[in-house]
Amino acid sequence: MEVENNQQQNENAGFTGGRPPGLRLLGAIWIGKILIFLTRKLGRGGTTLPGRAALSIAPDLSFMLAGRLKRGTIMITGTNGKTTTASLINDILDKAGLKCIHNQSGSNMAWGIASTLIENCSWKGRMDGDIAVMEVDEGAFPDVTTSLQPRGIVVTNIFRDQLDRFGEIDSIQALIKKGLDAAPVGSFQIINADDPSLASLTKSKKTKRWTYGLELDLPPDDFQNTGRDVKACPNCSHKLEYVKIYFAHIGHFHCPSCSYKRPEPDVRLTGRRVTGEGINQIEVKLPDQTLELEVPLLGIYNLYNVLAAITCARAFYISTPIISEALKNAVPSFGRMERFQKDSKEMIMALIKNPVGANEILRTILNQPGKITLVVAINDRIADGTDVSWLWDVDFEQLAAVKNRFSSVIATGLRAWDMAVRFKYAGFEPGQVQVEENFEKAVELALRQTGPESKLFILPTYTAMLDIRRYLNKMGLGNPYWEEY
Amino acid sequence: MSRINIYHLYPTHLNLYGDRGNMLALCRRAEWRSIDVNIIPVNPGDDIAFSRCDLLFMGGGQDSDQKMVAEDLKGRSRDMLKAVEENMVIFAVCGSYQLLGRYYITAQGEKIEGLDIMDLYTEKGKGRLIGNAAINCSLWEPPRTLVGFENHGGRTYLGPNLQALGTVLHGHGNNGTDKTEGAVYKNVIGTYLHGSLLPKNPLLTDYLLQKALAYRNQDSSFQELDDSLEEKAHQAALKLAGLQRK
Repeated sequence: MEVENNQQQNENAGFTGGRPPGLRLLGAIWIGKILIFLTRKLGRGGTTLPGRAALSIAPDLSFMLAGRLKRGTIMITGTNGKTTTASLINDILDKAGLKCIHNQSGSNMAWGIASTLIENCSWKGRMDGDIAVMEVDEGAFPDVTTSLQPRGIVVTNIFRDQLDRFGEIDSIQALIKKGLDAAPVGSFQIINADDPSLASLTKSKKTKRWTYGLELDLPPDDFQNTGRDVKACPNCSHKLEYVKIYFAHIGHFHCPSCSYKRPEPDVRLTGRRVTGEGINQIEVKLPDQTLELEVPLLGIYNLYNVLAAITCARAFYISTPIISEALKNAVPSFGRMERFQKDSKEMIMALIKNPVGANEILRTILNQPGKITLVVAINDRIADGTDVSWLWDVDFEQLAAVKNRFSSVIATGLRAWDMAVRFKYAGFEPGQVQVEENFEKAVELALRQTGPESKLFILPTYTAMLDIRRYLNKMGLGNPYWEEY
Repeated sequence: MSRINIYHLYPTHLNLYGDRGNMLALCRRAEWRSIDVNIIPVNPGDDIAFSRCDLLFMGGGQDSDQKMVAEDLKGRSRDMLKAVEENMVIFAVCGSYQLLGRYYITAQGEKIEGLDIMDLYTEKGKGRLIGNAAINCSLWEPPRTLVGFENHGGRTYLGPNLQALGTVLHGHGNNGTDKTEGAVYKNVIGTYLHGSLLPKNPLLTDYLLQKALAYRNQDSSFQELDDSLEEKAHQAALKLAGLQRK
């Protein structure tokens, strides 16, 4: 094992390893395992139902099972970047020789996390892993922190997202604060220094905090007219000022009225070059050394995910060669700029779920060379957000400004017509916009219209991504997501 | 060429639920008819030249933003009321709809004085009223449907002489009990519906534009546009609400 063992403190916090599980816990594990088997048989991911049933039998199941992990749990939360960050941390710890238990996106609520734990323990309740890396939904964050008692927490950012579920952005921040306060004494927090709504969160207990941030000069672009979700100083409500803005309200901020400003990050990204193959060559400054790394992930937003993962790895004293090696081989998480090849045609699928995330995806797409076929798949199920208003805050105007680059633009999903209207008002010609409510037919149509010189981009909301991915699996492309971990 | 001055109130503070879509719908549909649109963003402290304003658009905001907005608007309420009596057009969504009334009580129980332009008030209620909504809108005879999405904690009650924007076919409306949604006073329209509302309801967008033209005695006869996409989106939303157009 390559982890430097000079810091064992709290390694065993909450460790319940030796105690045999009670009958109720055992019963819950068994029911959960049987249900996981059955739901898989039915061809579904089986992510929430088993955990839900098990928790109804033993409400403390997650606490008990997580407590059996020798090296504890790391939780990753925030609006955007959870899945990618969690997956990068998983890759690094894995490279370091630790056996990780890791949930996939979509099972990031209390039930899904319980399912993941059950899946990775024996019928007798022995954990088959050293450490859990858990992506956690912001809404579930306070309760899950209480039950998992994590060793470390990573918070990526806060943006407006699913207002039908969360109410306002202020209430998301309150949830994050509540969750951080529920973490055990001695645990660590890793926070994005460039997000003014996070850097202002005070620590109420003895926890260690590290921050990370970007220190780059980027050329300005037009992807900023969505407006910032955080405008006012969290301490005194005066309008925040920025020296640099990377996107939305993420950047180098300060309050001209009180002393609040971006904290000096512990881990800083100070250089970046993108190669022709779309690989980010980056320079990262740690307190004690400077790293040169290569990461094959596109987009500015992924630089933040990479920084968060590096900071977390350093909190675990993972050596830098291991970090470099793991990041060099990073692959996009499922549905996050995920690539598929159909015959000679290249397909890239990128989840969109809120304005800031979607704008960053659009910006990344436009940086690709060549012609583009675009499918946008909008569902409005609960996991997508039932309110599709957010589509109007996404800067589709930037695509319409170069509409000749699009061989076709296809709207699909349960809210296909809303999306079609969005394209029209963004400035696409009505004749350029095609609507096919059925997503299988939409993908077929798009493939037919994708020439050798063009790439097909599919931008689905969450449940639309699951549907389309299942369809691609049927065509023999990619793996079913429950087989990937 | 006709021209409309749209004053957009506090675009950085009131922009919660896709209000950008409403502005976009107004601008595009005017442009498509070669009507010149001039957008004037108004920030806290800025002057509003009511003598030049044809249409005032106010979006939705978070409680914290709204308090600031209420504070800033207080000094302007007399000029605003005068313009309203002269038939200036106001379109207000969600939070700013509440501000047009006598008062509203925030989720924390704080009472915020409104602009007193419409005879309505807003109380706090238990839980938020969230979901797809459809109403029968009485701006037209016979009434036509409007479709949108609502997400509000406040319960709004209309005074006896104030006309509702419509009756609820699906969803909660002003308060979840009396089947009213929104309010209309002269050329002032307030509503809880977003989604965004105007792109999917081109009839209402055109109504606002025409009233704004007529307010300045400009020719308000309109060339028809091809609204087949908008109409399909409208129908799809009605279907989602379990309704077909009557």
